[in-house]
Amino acid sequence: MEEKERKYTTVSIPIQLYEKIKNRIEGTGFTSVSDYVTYVLREVLASLEEEEKEEVFSEEEEEKVKERLRALGYLD
Amino acid sequence: MKVFVIGLDSAPPELLFNEFIDKLPNIRRLLQRSVYGPMKSCVPAITIPAWMVMATGKTPGELGLYGFRHRKQNSYTDIWIAHSLKVKEKAIWDYIAAKDKKSVLVGVPPSYPPKKINGNLISCFITPDSSLNYTYPSELKEEVERLVGEYIFDVVFRKEDRDGVLEEVWDMTKKRFEVIRYLMQEKEWDYFEFVEIGLDRIHHAFWKYFDPKHHLYEKGRYSNVILDYYRLLDKEIGETLKLLDEDTAIAIVSDHGVKRMKGAFAINQWLIQEGFMRIKNKEILNSGRVVRFEELDVDWSNTIAWAWGGYYSRVFLNVKGREKNGIVKQSSYDSVREEVKEAIKSIRGENGEKWDNRVFYPEKIYPVTNGDKPDLMVYFDDLYWRAAGTLGHPSNYLKENDTGPDDAVHSEYGVFALALPESDKSSAAEFSIYDFTPLMLELLGFKAEANQLRKRG
Repeated sequence: MEEKERKYTTVSIPIQLYEKIKNRIEGTGFTSVSDYVTYVLREVLASLEEEEKEEVFSEEEEEKVKERLRALGYLD
Repeated sequence: MKVFVIGLDSAPPELLFNEFIDKLPNIRRLLQRSVYGPMKSCVPAITIPAWMVMATGKTPGELGLYGFRHRKQNSYTDIWIAHSLKVKEKAIWDYIAAKDKKSVLVGVPPSYPPKKINGNLISCFITPDSSLNYTYPSELKEEVERLVGEYIFDVVFRKEDRDGVLEEVWDMTKKRFEVIRYLMQEKEWDYFEFVEIGLDRIHHAFWKYFDPKHHLYEKGRYSNVILDYYRLLDKEIGETLKLLDEDTAIAIVSDHGVKRMKGAFAINQWLIQEGFMRIKNKEILNSGRVVRFEELDVDWSNTIAWAWGGYYSRVFLNVKGREKNGIVKQSSYDSVREEVKEAIKSIRGENGEKWDNRVFYPEKIYPVTNGDKPDLMVYFDDLYWRAAGTLGHPSNYLKENDTGPDDAVHSEYGVFALALPESDKSSAAEFSIYDFTPLMLELLGFKAEANQLRKRG
């Protein structure tokens, strides 16, 4: 029988942090510490990726900005 | 304590503190209880990077921002345009967010695309247009547009329709202040900073009508435009200051000053004449029109240096192993650079008059040089002459700018004024742009962070 594709793996976090998270999610929509940690990490990564994105202007936008900057004297 | 910062792009001490001050009652009243004086800008004294130097306390070298454009991976022609995500250093609003202090930022360059901050942000004149998202949080855009309709980021001034420029700048500034006053009242903030770019545009577009020393001085209906605009700012600032409580420190600051433009120096033409650059399509220089650098067929295997124009000039060496067709060997880089520097320093005016040219090596003036730095940074005649990167001009000395009317250049000294809540007297002082972030952080209760940033500049 083929092994079912693994969708989850285990990471270690300090027990103290685990307890803290467990208390924090009590009575919230999060059903487990794993759920919460996954949610937080996704948020953090998304915001880091946003910050690291280099191409922020589409080609058309970049041309528009360059034209304007040229007209303003910054790109002579 | 809260801090409210009024950023006036290109406000020079000569006009704001002296020549016009008696006609600016609100600013005058503020100065009467401020410590104020000229503030030395960074090198280069340009909007980008200067406002971010002020926000982070870091040098342009540390920021990796040497102007509006930068080379892409040592390319001869590909460039990238500076934007907010290129700023990796911590800014005042990032420091204070650690203690959940909130900020409002309006138009602090570069702030497009809008970055997430602990507070509210409207982006700057780098924003391509107002159809895009230009606020943080994005819902703020709707509030802005409900208030003033289409928000105006900038006005392109290099066109002959001066009346059109006037109307647009007035409209832009009035809208901006309306938005500022709304945000002051509706949003929570400990630190508020806005930058009005209109002043810079008015200086550039109308300086020759105002300054009798300008070589193209024209007295007439536009001669009072600059003063009128300062009056508009004073009136708007007056209305704005009324909304502040007593526990707020108020600062006025500019990124650089302004002065009359004496002309533009065609740096690439000069490099060709001096043998530092060779081109294969020489006939294009006699075509009787302005030629862009990109139109040249550069003979790179015989070219040592080429340059970009602007309010200051960036000169690049064609280095072996770094540029695609580089010829300057690493071992002779220093001596070649020195040779180019000395040649540039010896450039004189059209009639042989001595120029105060200044040439900087980035790694000599910054503790670190991140990003795509130029090899030499050049101020022609103490910035009185801007640099034209274009060619095809009958002379290297252009009386007018090469890409549309522009009457003013930058000067190194901007302004700084700070009125503390309890202060009731004024005093004079001189500042460096590197004083700004530490001062703000200290006022906001971040003394240790402030001390770490001191001693630059």
